[in-house]
Amino acid sequence: MRQIRAEIGAVSKADGSAIFEMGNTKVIAAVYGPREVQNRSQQMSDQTLVRCEYSMANFSTGDRMRKPKGGDRRSTEISLVIRQTVEACILTHLMPRSQIDIYVQVLQADGGTRSACINAATLAFADAGIPMRDLVTSCSVGYLHSTPLLDLNYVEHSAGGPDVTVGILPKLDKVTLLQMDSKLPIDILENVMQLSTEGCKAIANYIREILLENAKQLEYRRGV
Amino acid sequence: MKLKFRMYSVVGMVGLSLGEQHFIQGGIAQDLRCDGRKRLTYRPIHVETGVIPQANGSARIRIGATEVIASVKAELGKPSLSQPDKGKVFIYIDCSSTAEPAFEGRGGEELSAELSTALHCCLLGAKSGAGAGIDRTSLVVEGKICWDLYIDGLVVSSDGNLLDALGAAIKAALSNTGIPSVKVTAGAASDEQPEVDISDEEFLQFDTSGVPVIITLTKVGREYIVDATPEEESQMSSAISISVNKKGHICGITKRGGAGLDPSVILDMVSVAQYVSGKLMNKLDSEIASAEAEDES
Repeated sequence: MRQIRAEIGAVSKADGSAIFEMGNTKVIAAVYGPREVQNRSQQMSDQTLVRCEYSMANFSTGDRMRKPKGGDRRSTEISLVIRQTVEACILTHLMPRSQIDIYVQVLQADGGTRSACINAATLAFADAGIPMRDLVTSCSVGYLHSTPLLDLNYVEHSAGGPDVTVGILPKLDKVTLLQMDSKLPIDILENVMQLSTEGCKAIANYIREILLENAKQLEYRRGV
Repeated sequence: MKLKFRMYSVVGMVGLSLGEQHFIQGGIAQDLRCDGRKRLTYRPIHVETGVIPQANGSARIRIGATEVIASVKAELGKPSLSQPDKGKVFIYIDCSSTAEPAFEGRGGEELSAELSTALHCCLLGAKSGAGAGIDRTSLVVEGKICWDLYIDGLVVSSDGNLLDALGAAIKAALSNTGIPSVKVTAGAASDEQPEVDISDEEFLQFDTSGVPVIITLTKVGREYIVDATPEEESQMSSAISISVNKKGHICGITKRGGAGLDPSVILDMVSVAQYVSGKLMNKLDSEIASAEAEDES
């Protein structure tokens, strides 16, 4: 697994925010909410509305790219994936008739952006104080030259092997996200899932440390 | 000077009561702003360079709670036919939705376009290239080839004074930029693409002594303030952004806001901006130097 680094509270204006780095992939997530629903027709009387937007900065990839904002299909798909994953872990019934927005911006992309986004989102939600069942952590696993590889970077990803992205709730041991492309023999799948679960649990431990550190800082600043 | 009122409908979405508005206006009149600053004092500025390793140069600047990231990427291209002795520079700003929920989807486009144009005007000079802050002739490699600089700015967190922050970030990113040296193999036919050898080791540091800083003066009541927060911006009658370089020369002026200004007031604001720019330029240069030193260590 690549080196991970996280920082809480990057965007002071947001209710919760975090920067998450996995190797060279760097992602910033900001959470605004719970707040009043902007679009009355989408308001739900028994739970909160979760909206997500994923976007990549122009300088995030090796060749500078110019993306149409909000219209790119890949961005829409990833936004949907992130939304569904976090919706599964937030206690949405506690905040009816409200809206939570999560905005994820990729600053540097080097493979595993989906996972980094979900991890950053978890941290941002925790920073915003939004009630969750458990942390959601995610990492990607590949299979090249008969070896399962944890946390692929861009070069390994382009090598053509399968790329499995897994998101789990570590304490509850439940899988909330599973996406795979390319082909993978079924007997290898179990190995791969095992590896990814370990990876996700390692990330979860790191996230817990960061949150604990953050709480200590807050405690210190309040003069307790 | 077009009326650019609509821009502030996005940024100034702060709900202020009448009492708060009077408090802000009264404070400014007495040289004591809400956070204790004087009218011409900037919030604390933090600079970090080299934040995007994939880019040729990058910087992340925080002025108070406003945070912006600028990156410079250089690609080889052909000079334009109208200006064969100059390289090309493109400035593109993106307001990330992390900064404001209102920037989601296409919401931030208007503000981004506004900021891009203002930066273009302040940093790149006239259409003919005269009086530019960035020396484009240094970008030419050889007759047919030049470097195209793509400067991308990303607003991560918006708490007022975006233009100044972006200007400072671009200046820092440019000082951090290393352009690889290129060897052109001779003997190519005139209409063929010449072969180039881009060195991975040698880098030429971009010369930024001529790059100006941008100072935005916001007029509230009869006084001007520097580095306005969104609450103060919502109380403004008009604002002028002036870019001043090291020599104290004015490189560009943009006016925003609906109220008309007396020409003498504008001249006064320009001289105030020149005074403030000296201090800001020194502060920025020292911050950039320490950031680069930290980056290298």
